[in-house]
Amino acid sequence: MTPDAGRPQSARRGQGTSLKTRTRAANTTRVVVAFAAAILVLVPFLWMLSISFTPEDKAFGSISLIPADPTFANFIDVMTETNMLRALLNSAIVAIVVVLANVILATLGGYAFARLPFPGSTAVFYILLSTTAIPVSVTLIPLFLMTRGIPLAGGNDLLGHGGNGLLNSVAGLTIPYLVGAMNVFLARQYFISASPELAEAARVDGAGEWRIFSRIYLPLARPMLAVIAIFAFTGVWDDFLWPLVITTTPENQTVQLALAQFLATGNVQYGPLMAGAVVITIPVLVVFLFNQRGFVGGLTDGSVKG
Amino acid sequence: MADDTVALTTARRAGAGAGTPAPAPAPGRPRKRWTRLNWIGLGFAMPAIAYIGIFSIIPVVYGLVLSFTSYSPLSRSGPVFNGVSNYAHIFEDGDFWKSLWVTARYVLQVLPPTVVIALLLAVLVSRPFRGVGFVRSALYIPQIVSLTAVSMIWLWLYSQNGFVNEVLNAVGLSDQHWLISQSAALNAASVMRIWKALGSNMVLLMAGMQSIPKDLYEAARVDGANGWQQFRHVTLPGLRSMLVYVVAMDIIFLAQGFAEIYVLTQGGPLGSTTTANYLIYQQAFQYNQLGSASSMAFVLFALIAGVSLLSMRGMLGRRSS
Amino acid sequence: MGVISRRKVAAASIGMLAAAVLALTGCSSNSSTSGDTASGSSKHLTVWFPGNDPNESKYVEQTMVPKFERETGAKVDVTFVDYTNLSPKLNAAFAAGSAPDVFGHGAAAVADFVKNDRIEPLDSDVEKLSASDRKDLANALAGAKVDGKQYMIPLQMQGWLLMYNKKDFTEAGLDPNAPPTTWEAVKSDAEKLTKRDSSGKITRSGLLLQTEATGRQQSFATLIASAGGSQLNKKGTKATFDSAAGEKALQYFVSLYQGPDAVATNLGQDYLNEPTAQQPLVTGDAAMTIQTAQGASKIAAAYPNGDWGVVQPPKFAGQSEGYAFGGSGPGMMINKDSKNKTLAWKFIEFMIDPANYNGYIKTIGGVPNRSSALSTAYVKNSPVLGAWLKASSQWVPNPNVPNWVQARDTLDKYLEQALNKVVTPKQALKQAASEVDGILSANG
Repeated sequence: MTPDAGRPQSARRGQGTSLKTRTRAANTTRVVVAFAAAILVLVPFLWMLSISFTPEDKAFGSISLIPADPTFANFIDVMTETNMLRALLNSAIVAIVVVLANVILATLGGYAFARLPFPGSTAVFYILLSTTAIPVSVTLIPLFLMTRGIPLAGGNDLLGHGGNGLLNSVAGLTIPYLVGAMNVFLARQYFISASPELAEAARVDGAGEWRIFSRIYLPLARPMLAVIAIFAFTGVWDDFLWPLVITTTPENQTVQLALAQFLATGNVQYGPLMAGAVVITIPVLVVFLFNQRGFVGGLTDGSVKG
Repeated sequence: MADDTVALTTARRAGAGAGTPAPAPAPGRPRKRWTRLNWIGLGFAMPAIAYIGIFSIIPVVYGLVLSFTSYSPLSRSGPVFNGVSNYAHIFEDGDFWKSLWVTARYVLQVLPPTVVIALLLAVLVSRPFRGVGFVRSALYIPQIVSLTAVSMIWLWLYSQNGFVNEVLNAVGLSDQHWLISQSAALNAASVMRIWKALGSNMVLLMAGMQSIPKDLYEAARVDGANGWQQFRHVTLPGLRSMLVYVVAMDIIFLAQGFAEIYVLTQGGPLGSTTTANYLIYQQAFQYNQLGSASSMAFVLFALIAGVSLLSMRGMLGRRSS
Repeated sequence: MGVISRRKVAAASIGMLAAAVLALTGCSSNSSTSGDTASGSSKHLTVWFPGNDPNESKYVEQTMVPKFERETGAKVDVTFVDYTNLSPKLNAAFAAGSAPDVFGHGAAAVADFVKNDRIEPLDSDVEKLSASDRKDLANALAGAKVDGKQYMIPLQMQGWLLMYNKKDFTEAGLDPNAPPTTWEAVKSDAEKLTKRDSSGKITRSGLLLQTEATGRQQSFATLIASAGGSQLNKKGTKATFDSAAGEKALQYFVSLYQGPDAVATNLGQDYLNEPTAQQPLVTGDAAMTIQTAQGASKIAAAYPNGDWGVVQPPKFAGQSEGYAFGGSGPGMMINKDSKNKTLAWKFIEFMIDPANYNGYIKTIGGVPNRSSALSTAYVKNSPVLGAWLKASSQWVPNPNVPNWVQARDTLDKYLEQALNKVVTPKQALKQAASEVDGILSANG
């Protein structure tokens, strides 16, 4: 793995004491600034956290970050009043499928556009990318019609008539996300900046293209794979409009739909809403924590001390 | 495309070594011979091309067809062809032009801070220290926390008796109407968007930094480069292709800014936060005029495509090596 | 980039073709396949409720639907969709022919469904109700007609009335039990109720009307009706708000927020949808505000020690009667393509049967759709609801005409400009009228 940039250890090696102290001071500043930024960014979330533990009747009006009369009632509400568990399961299934599809197919596509271009590939790539610049308002209904017309699904015949296709199904929930053009773009950018010499050498040695991709470039792209996984997961986990439009029964709800039950116009239930938001943030946070290790390039957090 | 010259030159170099002819575009020759590598490339890309072709391009082309029609999704008769009259109409529509202007302002004031601050943060947290996982997660949390829930918090932060005004009062400043004043509303929405978008940019740039070869830094240090010089001459150039991605992605998504406007201001006051995409949403779902919404969407699309291509070119044009 | 290859052209044309086919089949298939998906068997009903009030959905799902299923042997799938999300969901479903058998919406949406031949007229079903039922529901039913035909059965009434804090009235030397009866008196009382700091900035508004998006138009509807004017002509084909009454109403509206005698601040703030604890009446940021029945009930319930009053709709001096924006609230419609229209009507009938309805309306805290509800314990026990039922003859609804939403938003835009003194009331109404006429001309 490529080690990270300018690690303090290497700077320390063979340097004078004054430089060492300066590096250490700079390092401390860096850590302090990083923590300060993190706390600042977290403020709105800390509020959510605080409200989620506050009884509903006191949820608003106080600007304290520490809940008055802390309670688990809101969390109990979320778990009992909605089918949050089922929604978590649905969202997890959808997200895992979407992450796998993107990590495999978008990466392969991006690799081809970067390292194995073919005549017309540039144009094809830009056409794919351009689909991300059209507002969902316009594509929602055609995509809905297509989801309904998927052949041989949900009672449809070979031509996609007669049934409901993948409407109101967990499979239908994955449709807009399985291969994200933005992820293809990301993979392409990443492989463009990878060194071409590795492939040359491997080809001389008679390695096949799949082998070159999977054994040489893919391992180098671990940070990027982590990003694609995180983004794909976040994107599908957070979406509201598509699941709203295609699902009609509670057993196919996603987490955002379950959460929206507390968001009635003019009758927002702040306590349960925030508790629900906290609950559904946790899985994504776990996915993030797991994946962000891809960025440290083999080093573990404890290995470097100031 | 400028950045494709990168791909092509690398491919050419690779080809020179392996004895496979690289597919360099030859001007004036419309059809090129397909090599084995070309076919393999097509095979690798095919699943992505096919999937996006079916589930993204068809709906987009359908939208393009609709933009020349008058169509309410409620109607039984389907779209009625009406030529370019949707386009003719929106070009006379002052609200649409104003919304494009609002969109442009929004992109211009959100893009630079999100990229610059994200870059700074990425540098700060790309190297491990005790608690780096916490810091990274904290910075990414805005991206993952449910928008519907967190928008309630922002509404309250910005409200008359909300946190922002309390802080202002505490330091002796007078409070502001953040969401209901024409001069402040777009800025307030921008701050929320910057807050939300920082994490994803940071993650991307961090990933980009991992691909910069370590020996470049060693070489720079041998040459006596200090921290800033290493950043300037090693990190930044090494991040170029990732920066292209970050900027292009941000432009594409920011120019379609909708959600934060929808939850904070509903386009007001006095249309000062009505972005083009907000107007498109209204046309499509409030007024059921999908034809006219589509025509607006394609004008917006042309502008987004133009601007993001230009910026991608511009960033790669300054390539130093 | 190179020359555009034939392959690319071919790919592009295939895409175009596919989209065109989709456009044609997607829309023409409606007529052939619609309805069959909404309900598989004749005993299966799909119902979409408007709004996602948790109390309402719980009551409907756990009490009403099981009872209906027991009584009829049918199977009912209910979905609750918040108003802001209703349009995308309904539009997609109608475009694909998978819309539910029964669905609910606000009155403003009915005319567009009628225009597109999407909902079933219910007159013959209403005919079959008992005479006393029809009389009891008359107010509600009247507000859900398009071109004289009944298309929706309202599940509640709605209205926006002035609510005030009696303690503030006493403190300002006003009689808390004799609220103003004219808008002129409302303004002069409000001036007494308004508090300012040393710099002249308003710290407590004497009177708050709704000034957020679409709320402005509702406030204006109240004012123009009380000034003897109307928003559109009877046929709903032309704007009539550009009139002396309209100007008077808007001038009054602007004077509340602008000028030295202003009595209100935070123009554009959507206070009405804020949590009960944040309501200006509760926080003391206002002495008198427009409220909905639900909002007022919640304030009264959360602050039982407060002394709240409700003003019956004031008129402008010289007019015979005052009005307030309101009328038939959201209700249920039947999809024209439903294959279970009989069962669908049974469900609606079940909903409005007092045996089931009384529990329902109490749960949602709304204004009952029956006049007889005045004598129910639910209304009698409420400190505020009686005022809403008492005002039932003074509600003025928005017109039920196609394209109303767009017409409303256009008017709303110009009202906002007038309220911010970008244009004069006269200019605003004139401009708005000419644009609204253009929008409504499509209805001819």
